[in-house]
Amino acid sequence: MSQPTTPAAAAPRAPRGRSPAALVIRQLLRRPLAVVMLGVVVAMLAIAVTAPLIVPYDPMKMAILQRLKPPTGLHPFGTDEFGRDVLSRVILGARLSLLVGGLVVVVATVLGTLLGLVGGWFRRLDGVVMRFTDALMAFPDILLAIAFMAALGPSLFNVVLALGIVYTPRVARVVRAATLVVREMPYVEAARALGAGSPRIVFGHILPNLMSPVIVQATFIFAYAILTEAALSFIGVGVPPTTPTWGNMIAGAQQYFRQADWLMLFPGLAIVVTVLALQIVGDGLRDALDPRLQKVTR
Amino acid sequence: MKSLTYSFAATALAASLTIVGRPADAVAQVPASVVTVATIGEPPTLDPVGVTSDLVSIISQHVFETLYTFDAQWALTPLVAAALPTVSADGKTYTIPLRTDVVFHDGTKMTTDDVVASLERWTRLSPRGKSAAAFIEKISGDGAKVVIALKQPYAPLSALLAMNNGAAVVVPKSIIDGVNPLKSFIGTGPYKFLEHKPDQYVRLVRFDRYVPLAAAASGYGGARVAKIDELRFVPVPNAATRAEGIVAGQFQFADSLPAEMKPRIDGAAGLKSVVVKPFGFPLMIMNNKTGVLADQKLRKAVATAVSPEEMLTAGFGDPAFFAVEGSIYAPGTVYYDKASVSGYAVADTAKAAAAVKAAGYKGEPIRIMTSMQYDFLYKMSLVAQAELEAAGFKVDLQVLDWATLVQRRADDKAWDAFFTYHTFVPEPSLITITNPSYPGWWDNPAKNAAFAAFNGEMDPKARVAKWAEMQKQFYADVPTIKVGEFYNLAARSAKLVNYQPMPWPFFWNVELAK
Amino acid sequence: MLVYALRRLVGMMVVMTVVAAVVFVIARVIPGDPAAVMLGTAATAEDIAALRVRLGLDQPLIAQFVIYLKQIVTLDLGDSIFLGRPVLQAMAERTELTASLTVMAVGIAVAIGLPIGIVSAAMRGRAVDRVAVTAAMLAASVPSFWIGLMLIKYLAVDFGFFPVSGYGPPEATYLERVRHLVLPAIALGIPNSALILRFTRTSMLDVLGDDYVRTARAKGLPPLTVVLKHALRNAMIPILTVIGLTTAVMIAGAIVTETVFGLPGIGNLIVSAVLRRDYPVIQGALLVVSGIYVLINLAVDLLYAVVDPRVRY
Repeated sequence: MSQPTTPAAAAPRAPRGRSPAALVIRQLLRRPLAVVMLGVVVAMLAIAVTAPLIVPYDPMKMAILQRLKPPTGLHPFGTDEFGRDVLSRVILGARLSLLVGGLVVVVATVLGTLLGLVGGWFRRLDGVVMRFTDALMAFPDILLAIAFMAALGPSLFNVVLALGIVYTPRVARVVRAATLVVREMPYVEAARALGAGSPRIVFGHILPNLMSPVIVQATFIFAYAILTEAALSFIGVGVPPTTPTWGNMIAGAQQYFRQADWLMLFPGLAIVVTVLALQIVGDGLRDALDPRLQKVTR
Repeated sequence: MKSLTYSFAATALAASLTIVGRPADAVAQVPASVVTVATIGEPPTLDPVGVTSDLVSIISQHVFETLYTFDAQWALTPLVAAALPTVSADGKTYTIPLRTDVVFHDGTKMTTDDVVASLERWTRLSPRGKSAAAFIEKISGDGAKVVIALKQPYAPLSALLAMNNGAAVVVPKSIIDGVNPLKSFIGTGPYKFLEHKPDQYVRLVRFDRYVPLAAAASGYGGARVAKIDELRFVPVPNAATRAEGIVAGQFQFADSLPAEMKPRIDGAAGLKSVVVKPFGFPLMIMNNKTGVLADQKLRKAVATAVSPEEMLTAGFGDPAFFAVEGSIYAPGTVYYDKASVSGYAVADTAKAAAAVKAAGYKGEPIRIMTSMQYDFLYKMSLVAQAELEAAGFKVDLQVLDWATLVQRRADDKAWDAFFTYHTFVPEPSLITITNPSYPGWWDNPAKNAAFAAFNGEMDPKARVAKWAEMQKQFYADVPTIKVGEFYNLAARSAKLVNYQPMPWPFFWNVELAK
Repeated sequence: MLVYALRRLVGMMVVMTVVAAVVFVIARVIPGDPAAVMLGTAATAEDIAALRVRLGLDQPLIAQFVIYLKQIVTLDLGDSIFLGRPVLQAMAERTELTASLTVMAVGIAVAIGLPIGIVSAAMRGRAVDRVAVTAAMLAASVPSFWIGLMLIKYLAVDFGFFPVSGYGPPEATYLERVRHLVLPAIALGIPNSALILRFTRTSMLDVLGDDYVRTARAKGLPPLTVVLKHALRNAMIPILTVIGLTTAVMIAGAIVTETVFGLPGIGNLIVSAVLRRDYPVIQGALLVVSGIYVLINLAVDLLYAVVDPRVRY
């Protein structure tokens, strides 16, 4: 997949002191597009959470005689090759695709933060951690994910695990870089001088300072995870095809692209809208959290 | 720094120009006539002995030939043999006269030794040959004849020798070296092997020294004349791409298309749709040996729960491409029998649910294996899953790639049911599920007795009656669900003259009009 | 410079060794006995035992790892189970396609990203700029396989401008083959153009703020001259860097694109290998592609060091 390493996110600065949430929100509000897209993300999340309640039809219910019907008032997104309602499936797909994306973020963030902290704080382990992340980053995302899926077998949980590992180095690098800066900060030195132990310093002083770069990184990982999950499912090594993720829906629609193009249109648009919204929000967040970058992004 | 940047750019530009401007690959001679056939995928091998893959047969039947084959009426007819076999009165000795004018693609003449060695290899490696091997005492040569001595009468033998998958093909003794599959593809057919580029194409070219039979062409039998210079088989796994490719003129033949494509094919100028009838029947094979469905009552409940009509509609769409038919042989064929069909297409969820309860089902998940490589099987399995769940079964649908499914189905502890299909075969004992060792393991004394009686019967009329008994047993045991009949849709260029629709498409005797 | 290059080279070797270790672990995690998987259902217990010995699977893991490293160093990646030929040969046969596809896709991505990035930087803050930046974001949000399917539907099927799939018949000229690659290259190039656009814009903005550009402007030179002659020349280094990185990303992107268009390239080989459980091919392809990826990254880094001595530390 084509996933641009967002240039600025790869090199975060240490935040100047504590950056209060209010400041961030104010910064963010100055970017109307980002606010709109934040609304889109929130809406998507709401759809995902309430999916079972808001679907107009049972997304799995087959009606063979109603197969491949183009969009109408009854079925705004048409029906698929089993006569299932495509709108309902796109809604359920939101739940599944965002679930995958969200869990990948959790896995990558937890693993990446741990790894980055270890590398940044315990200097003796730094070399090991860095070589390991280098090696993981030596594989193109999709290729590493395919290899993991070949080893693990197709399942939603394995996709989460594979993509979580694939995106771990991104978080680890950001966290390590930030840790290196923060550990030299006067108040950290002071805490150390006062006899605070490593855990206390790491959790009490360093972690809070890592929040903003990690949140920015997490937003982008969320977006990439949705794209990569779709690609994995599309080539047949991702989530099992019976699970209606957006990628699986497009893969299933391939065969009908001539007589039923709505089948691949709607899940595709759902991916584009979600990923676009996440990326713009991520961009906005990054700018809001790092004033220095405003020069180039505005 | 400036100059370096520029020189880098210049080098990159030069490199890209070199690539684009490279002279065309020198493929000196373009053959006068080429027919490109889009197949459903990449063949795992081109040796048809060890595998029963239709895809392999479609390609390899142009290169390799069997002693016998089937004519348009599915009657046995000689191909490499000179005549039908003479069978001794006790049914235990088959004498097969051989043609003496057969030449291999390497230029050597076919000898009796080659045939004996090929048949012996077949009994060792072919799934079909292995089932015959149990009955075979000895294979020997006698001048221009091969003699097969049997331990006991075995009526299906001649049909087995004529099948083109797991095929008893004749190859030079010199290339049989214990290696399976073959490394060099030397046969006796009208086309010889030229080149195989995996995932791109298999090229076959006309074999100039082929001697066609004198008899008129009929089905797979009679005279085979290679009128096209070169045949190319191109793997195109995506069905929509196969259809669009032939519409765009990239192929002259596209195999196995979804029924929905028929209007598209018929509407395209210069294309004709090919419907092959009878073609085959989808099967939901259940595990009779181990697990929940080893219980006949639950198998019966499964059969009651599913709706063949809905499964077939989901799989094939257009009703012109399937028939809801419980007889294993379709109407119009010799072995068709309606009376012995029972409990087919009941599709009664309530009745099934009651049967499930009565059988003491405790909610063990039914593991059903299916594959997306065969789109219609996948769709049928989804429908079956929904219907079984409605009847109170718990279903664990496992979507595997076909190779894994084939591998896993050998392990009786790994699954409870799987979907596959069977191509029409003229001889009932060639149907895989009749074999007690075939996955599903339809193996009980009553069935084995019925099957032995059928196989030992040499009189054609009596065999029909004995097959009806076998089918009765099939519906009593419910080892497998025969979902129905389906027909294959293919597309061909209107320029292909004299094309004969048969289950495994072949291209000898076909001409390419200008 | 030499010292820096050597250090980077050593660093790369270390990374590649770890990569090899990761590949080794992945290949051993794959469920089931590789020997049994390779031989299929018809294999006897003796066949499997013999193959285990031949593959060295009967030896302790450490010994296996050493043998495996030896194989890599001697460029012996084993034989494909399904294709019945050496993995390296199978990959070599498909290199032309994937290389051509990547070159064309990079060309398209640059053709889109570079000019728009320059214009966008020159018109910073104006409507054109905002539309361009948002469009880039949009391009980066579209799955390339989805673009591919749309292109097939509307350009190949409905209008017949381009072939639907494949790489042409065996006697096709190279130009005919290139025609088969046009749509795939667009599908692959569009999402990647976004990265080039954004990077070009950022580098140009950096340079446009520099003193000598301001001086040039003050001298009254026409804006176009300033942008193209003074600024672009100096912004070119980071832009070239990102083009190199994009190339590496696209080699991986080709995996999905080749699947959509039925192109028998290296990506297709990898996907088929996964579906066919052809483990030697998966293992070999992982090593080769990540090796190329690492090499491109190294080349980019070295190039950067040559032109900008400050990065050597």
